[in-house]
Amino acid sequence: MEKDTKSDVPTTQEKKVTERREASQWAVAWRRFKRNKAGLAGLFIVLFFVFIAITSPWLAPYPPRSYQSLYEGDAGQSPSLKHPFGTSNSGLDVYSEVLHGTLGDMYVGVGATAIAVIIGIVIGAAAGYSRGGLSDVLLMLSQIFYTIPLLPLILLAARVFLILVAQGFGLTLIMLLLGVFGWSTIAFIVRGEILRVRELEYIQASRALGASRSRIIFRHIVPNILTPVIVTATLLIAGNILTEVVISFLGFGDVNTSTWGLTIQEGVAYIRTQWWVCIFPGLATLFAVLGFNLVGDGLSDALNPRLRD
Amino acid sequence: MAGLTKYIIRRVLFMIPVFLGVSILTFGITNAAGDPISLIRQGLKSAPPQVIEALRVYYHLDQPVYIRYLYWLWDILHLNLGVSVSGTSVIDKIGPWTLTTLELQIPSLLLAVLIGVPLGVYSARHQYSKRDVTVTTFALFGYSMPTFWLGLIMIIVFSLYLGWLPSAGAAGITHYWWGSQFGDAIAHLIMPLLVLTYVELATFVRLMRGNMLQTLREDYILAARASGLKEGTVIYKHALRNAITPIVTIMGLSFGSALAGAPGLETTFSWPGLGYEFVVATYSLDIPMIVGLTVVITIMLMIANLITDLVYGLIDPRVRLS
Repeated sequence: MEKDTKSDVPTTQEKKVTERREASQWAVAWRRFKRNKAGLAGLFIVLFFVFIAITSPWLAPYPPRSYQSLYEGDAGQSPSLKHPFGTSNSGLDVYSEVLHGTLGDMYVGVGATAIAVIIGIVIGAAAGYSRGGLSDVLLMLSQIFYTIPLLPLILLAARVFLILVAQGFGLTLIMLLLGVFGWSTIAFIVRGEILRVRELEYIQASRALGASRSRIIFRHIVPNILTPVIVTATLLIAGNILTEVVISFLGFGDVNTSTWGLTIQEGVAYIRTQWWVCIFPGLATLFAVLGFNLVGDGLSDALNPRLRD
Repeated sequence: MAGLTKYIIRRVLFMIPVFLGVSILTFGITNAAGDPISLIRQGLKSAPPQVIEALRVYYHLDQPVYIRYLYWLWDILHLNLGVSVSGTSVIDKIGPWTLTTLELQIPSLLLAVLIGVPLGVYSARHQYSKRDVTVTTFALFGYSMPTFWLGLIMIIVFSLYLGWLPSAGAAGITHYWWGSQFGDAIAHLIMPLLVLTYVELATFVRLMRGNMLQTLREDYILAARASGLKEGTVIYKHALRNAITPIVTIMGLSFGSALAGAPGLETTFSWPGLGYEFVVATYSLDIPMIVGLTVVITIMLMIANLITDLVYGLIDPRVRLS
């Protein structure tokens, strides 16, 4: 098959050629992604937030959850040079909180997605490969996790387990909960792709040509699954960040770690006079989520062969 | 039609494991909180030990976990949801809350579909034009917005600065508009409704635009155009019909999750619906109320999913055959 399209390449170099073509597939995707201005803008936003998250301990003028401004007599101040985003009524420097919150929320968003992707791939692949009983049970399990009222159960679990869990692990607990409850979409995609791809003619052809099982899996099936999983995972990060912000806004998150939602929650009581406490963490959430959504959309366009022209 | 009946039976049977799954999760999580009696006792520290012992027997706490689960499940199946920690019957409370939630969710979902679907089609027909970019950006912001935060901004602007609309509750004692109860209800509804509609609308616009773009690339659309059909006929008779089916699924899903999934928004507006009350009950670890709310939310969610699947099966014959 490969020789048909590139007949000038001798057979002995066939392996090398396939490798090069595989690399160029990603290069094509990157070229297509680059042309998409919205996706590129999203990538810059995401990189910006990643940069902030990594450097927040050095960038932020105040340590996390520090009420120091209160003692400096700056509580409830509107945005100024000293406090770019103002201070809360209890003396939090909102600018520092937003910077520290970036780390917290990126940690939850990315970490929870990683957990969900791992669980989703394992369960989805097992459901796709196995036949009969196991496949049905795994499919049923995915359906249950797809149908359950997610947010209420996560809120309940966060409330109950945060009482039990030792201090300092609150944010990790939220991350675990989001990951453990949120894998069903990935599992469906992986299962669906495996079922679809494994019956395709080119897979049968390569099987007929004597390709080994592992070659089929890693050469043909994995790249097929990878594309939709990457797209879904990017969008899932956005969703997980949003959910974390809601959880901590409602007061079910970790009250000892800076997150955007927690800062918003502290501002609500004084929203009439001190709007900045609620506005800036919300803006940070909006743009971080927007960035991941843009990247997800851009990737989905770039990696979708049907839209290739 | 035999296929459809079988399909319905299969979908209904599927609800059983889902319900059991949710019930086990809820039971497990609430029990992980520790001894419910001691949780309640924090409020009534002076209770004598005989009373505590009587309570333990009454709530079957002297039995092993799986027996307790069966007792618990039995009560739920008889809609015996018990008495909340505050002393009121759970089932009596949940009824009005459900209505309040639906009063907000149903209009917003309808509005979102009615506005979102045409916007998505419009956007797809003018792909990459300025109008498309405007619509897509508008949708993208809605999609990326924390709902409750948009609600807070609305409250700052319309309640605190302009003073036009009430910021909390579903109804007030001082009737807000024209002194009538109905006007008052509308005045309270407007802000949460607008916020929720915007956020839901965004999903429909994105989905509809994407589906439409894909459908318009299909060969049968090319064939329809080549055979000289009017553009309007091609779009609305041939393309739209195919592109709109996933909307039904998303409608059902967002309705299902909306029953439970707007705790943030409902809390922001102190909207006395299921989401807000779930937050209140969970915060105070009012276990009978939490369980009652979870059960009601799950049942409604499953019914919403069932209806979605049935509608889907009706409009897309391929589904019920597979």
